[in-house]
Amino acid sequence: MRPRELVGLLPLALYLAGFTVVPVASTLALSVSAPGGGITLDHFRRIAGHYQFGEAVVNTVAVAGIGLALELLLGLAAALALIGRPAGRKIFQVLLLVPLGVPTIVAAAVMRTVFGTVGYLNEILLRLGAIRTPVDWVGTRGLALFTVAVADAWKVTPLVMLILLAGLQAIPGELYEAARTDGASRWQQFAAITLPLLKPALTMALIVRGVDAFRIFALPLALTGRGLPVLSTYAYVEYLEYGNPHTSAASSAILLIMILLAVGTYLKLAGPEEVLR
Amino acid sequence: MRAPTSSMLALLAFWAVGPLYLMLKVSVSPPGEVMTARPTLLPHGLTLEHWRRLLEAGQVLPPLGKSLLTAGLVAAAALLLAAPAAYNLARLPSRWRYGILLGLFLVRMLPEVSIALPVAVVFLRWGLMDSVTGLVLAHLTLVLPVVAWVLTTTFLAIPREVEEAAALDGCSAWQTLWRVTLRLAVPGLAVAGLLAWLFSWEEFLLATYLTLGAKTMPLQVYYYLYQGNWFLTAAAATLMTAPVLLLTGLLQRHLRATSLAGAVR
Repeated sequence: MRPRELVGLLPLALYLAGFTVVPVASTLALSVSAPGGGITLDHFRRIAGHYQFGEAVVNTVAVAGIGLALELLLGLAAALALIGRPAGRKIFQVLLLVPLGVPTIVAAAVMRTVFGTVGYLNEILLRLGAIRTPVDWVGTRGLALFTVAVADAWKVTPLVMLILLAGLQAIPGELYEAARTDGASRWQQFAAITLPLLKPALTMALIVRGVDAFRIFALPLALTGRGLPVLSTYAYVEYLEYGNPHTSAASSAILLIMILLAVGTYLKLAGPEEVLR
Repeated sequence: MRAPTSSMLALLAFWAVGPLYLMLKVSVSPPGEVMTARPTLLPHGLTLEHWRRLLEAGQVLPPLGKSLLTAGLVAAAALLLAAPAAYNLARLPSRWRYGILLGLFLVRMLPEVSIALPVAVVFLRWGLMDSVTGLVLAHLTLVLPVVAWVLTTTFLAIPREVEEAAALDGCSAWQTLWRVTLRLAVPGLAVAGLLAWLFSWEEFLLATYLTLGAKTMPLQVYYYLYQGNWFLTAAAATLMTAPVLLLTGLLQRHLRATSLAGAVR
């Protein structure tokens, strides 16, 4: 590496080292440091005994799982529909991309009007006769998980759709022609050509969204208050409400480990080149 | 195949845009239409009362100003810090470049709560709570990896032959950089700058940790939401979304081409 290139990279490197790497390292240090000095695992023991923490871990994984399933399903459906050049493709693409830019807190506000007890989803379902009495969409834990995942999916499905659309566009059309000549059905073409060749795009969408889903914060907080703790909101409440930086750091450390495990698994499965393309 | 595809697309489009329609509708609806067991779907009455109250109370203008200033500074600082790095990254041997990009990718994956906690502790000591400076410094940690990534792709797409030709024509290194390379990079720089702006504009978690009193726009929307005031929430949220839709509209043409690789992370 020549000196000139080093000089150009230095400001960015120093900034990220000082404001990102050092803080994360000091959070890790905080999570294992005893108040009187020395190393301890007490903070981890304490949160492990806190029932809200166990709930937060399960909720984080569940919201991520439900959200990702919805996003991949809807994103793939939208991408496949758009790639088939239907009538009005341009206008549909513009409309489908709209939520992408909407701020997360606005997504939360919007979803409160949709999922409120006197909200619009209940009104539509009442009119359709699907329900008799209004549903409290964040009233039980199962429903709240579903509602938060749907709100998340509303905002980020367009991103998944864009990634998958790029993946679909990279599949050579000749493959489908050849398959048709050989008499393959639409379903056979999908299973034998589209799905395998779309795998890099699918895994990329999965990991990119998966990591963001683990870090979810604003949506559960704004939609359910304290009703549905996830790891980020748990760390936030421990520090800002209970003034306990150690347990907050410990739960952040658990979140970091979960993310690293997910990224590590991905790199192992997909190979580093796939991330860097 | 045709009819099901179209009706599915129509359904998805309805799902994508419908909730935003409701937000706009609530912000201009008389309370009687909304705060009832049977809210109406179509607008019947029309009122600007909620918007008047939102702007009149003077509660929303300081957060609006703070967020606008912060986002503008974040975009400018991100370009200044990341452009030189990206330019040099694009000229490194690919092994080095991949290593550094992988590093940026990993930095981007770190949970915000683990960055926010020590940053808040230190900023409290430095007197940076509630300040635009503190917020800009914090937002840059999230924005820089993304912007550096997008700009590296941008500079990689500029063929070196163009620069070599400029040098042959007698341009100095700085003239080549200024008159040729940066000119060619303008679309990428614009996309990266707008992405940085959008990140900062909607950032919620770091702002929560770094705010005692002077709220940003997302915190103000959260405040109305927390109070349970549907109308002020809807009006403030609409106010917050308008510039975003405008900017992403401008971005959309470039979104697929230049920035997808980096923007999604």
